[in-house]
Amino acid sequence: MDAGLLEQMLLGALLGLSVYLPLRCGQLSLATPGFFAIGGTVAALLSTRVPALAGSGSTYPITSVLLEMALAALLTGVLALGLGRVVLRLRGIYLAIATIALVEILRVVTLNLEFTGGALGIFGIPQPFNSAAGYAAFTLALLALICWLCDRLEKTRPGRAMAAIRDDELAAASQGINTADTKLLAFVLSALVAGITGVVAAHFLNSWNAKLGNFDASITTLAFVVFGGSRTWLGPVFGGLLLTALPELLRPVGDLRLIVFGAVILVGPLFFPQGVITPELFKWFKPRIGGITTAAAQGVKQ
Amino acid sequence: MNLLQLEDVGVRFGGLRALQGVDLEVKQGEIFGLLGPNGAGKTTLFNVISGLTAPSSGTVRWRGASLAGLSSHRIARLGIARTFQNLRLFSSMSCLENVLVGMHQHARQPPLAALLQTQSFRRRESQLQQEALALLDLFQLEATAHQDAASLSYGDRRRLEMARALASRPQLLLLDEPAAGMNPSEKDELRELIRRIRDQFKLTVLIIEHHVPLMLGLCDRLAVLNFGQRIALGSPDQVRRDPAVIEAYLGGGT
Repeated sequence: MDAGLLEQMLLGALLGLSVYLPLRCGQLSLATPGFFAIGGTVAALLSTRVPALAGSGSTYPITSVLLEMALAALLTGVLALGLGRVVLRLRGIYLAIATIALVEILRVVTLNLEFTGGALGIFGIPQPFNSAAGYAAFTLALLALICWLCDRLEKTRPGRAMAAIRDDELAAASQGINTADTKLLAFVLSALVAGITGVVAAHFLNSWNAKLGNFDASITTLAFVVFGGSRTWLGPVFGGLLLTALPELLRPVGDLRLIVFGAVILVGPLFFPQGVITPELFKWFKPRIGGITTAAAQGVKQ
Repeated sequence: MNLLQLEDVGVRFGGLRALQGVDLEVKQGEIFGLLGPNGAGKTTLFNVISGLTAPSSGTVRWRGASLAGLSSHRIARLGIARTFQNLRLFSSMSCLENVLVGMHQHARQPPLAALLQTQSFRRRESQLQQEALALLDLFQLEATAHQDAASLSYGDRRRLEMARALASRPQLLLLDEPAAGMNPSEKDELRELIRRIRDQFKLTVLIIEHHVPLMLGLCDRLAVLNFGQRIALGSPDQVRRDPAVIEAYLGGGT
């Protein structure tokens, strides 16, 4: 497979996880592309305007990328903390509308500010890797780390609290769960993931402009989660990988590809209303895989 | 001191007076019943105590301190747990997970230990699981521990709500129609069960129920509400003979 496509798929999976985190808490937030755009802009500005970060070698140092990621995380985290306090008072579709507005405000601001390059954006973002494969390896490690964090979150107390809020917010509050703070935590984590993903994307794409975080991106990233499923972190990862790859893999069918792509998005929820990856799927698989591993373990003992 | 005290509590929803001038005192360790016809304001009273509805007038005191302005999760953390009349389980979670969520405030662990799954983290987590299973066992739900709460029968769901409420280790348990949908033998078992958990967990129980024989046999004291007002208060015998109660339930004589 083309490493460039693989990199895009991995970025798609990361954005899927960003949409998934609030959704697992029952909050339909579409702010992900906004925080993604902030992360990208931070990376584009720092790496093109701050000579100290460029280092002495021929490639841009990875430590500088990590520093950009830390700064982007700090900025998006603080912003999400402040905004979340206000917008998370809204529920359901109203929260979705407020977060779409947030994405649009950021887009228009980026488009009209001088230092973000206006409509043209920022060009010539330096490259920390010489090949797309380098980016893919780096992003894969990042994705693995975030998947692991999501997995730990789901299996511990804050994850249980989030699932409880999704099922019944009022009953969750009656169990002593601080619902406002728990929803805020999910929203901030979502912003952090989107922000650091933006940093990687900016370097990979080499240029950055306001079009990268728009309403279309909100809907596409939401489709990752709706298609993949929002019950475990595997759902958005699967949805992000597949739905990013699909338009490219369908290139041979020519102009039909967008129609086929649309049909897949439509058919997915029709046959898998909970998304493709559900806990029931694990229950079906577990005895089979578990049986094989136990048998293997016994084989080793003998 | 009274565990729970309501002073002149009133709730208005627009022009509707759901509760009006209600005074109640619940003592430590008693099983206190709330009786009344449909729409009398019993559940509204529970909502006021648990912080879901703010009273329009009057004060609710917990161990002498006013609960005014506290959100429901803060009130739950003080030791007041409740069940819901129209069942509010976490339906996509297993019975065990439902009870674990009930333990929320006692299940706190250092985030780093949770991430790295340290030995002390795993020990504490399995201890919590054992505790949750013991609670399910008490309500005869051990066999369904790993089933989704949505798949349970109606009576089992009612029992699971009680198990979840007990998981927060409350001092006061509010039960909203726990016998609804149960058959006569289940109701008898429930009466024994409520007595047993009161003794075992040193609870005070405030209970709403329509089934009058169950209430007369179970409660130490009863209050009767009608049209948002307290019309009677006393021991089961006193309440049974109270003319105002007979009028509310059987209609006034001419």
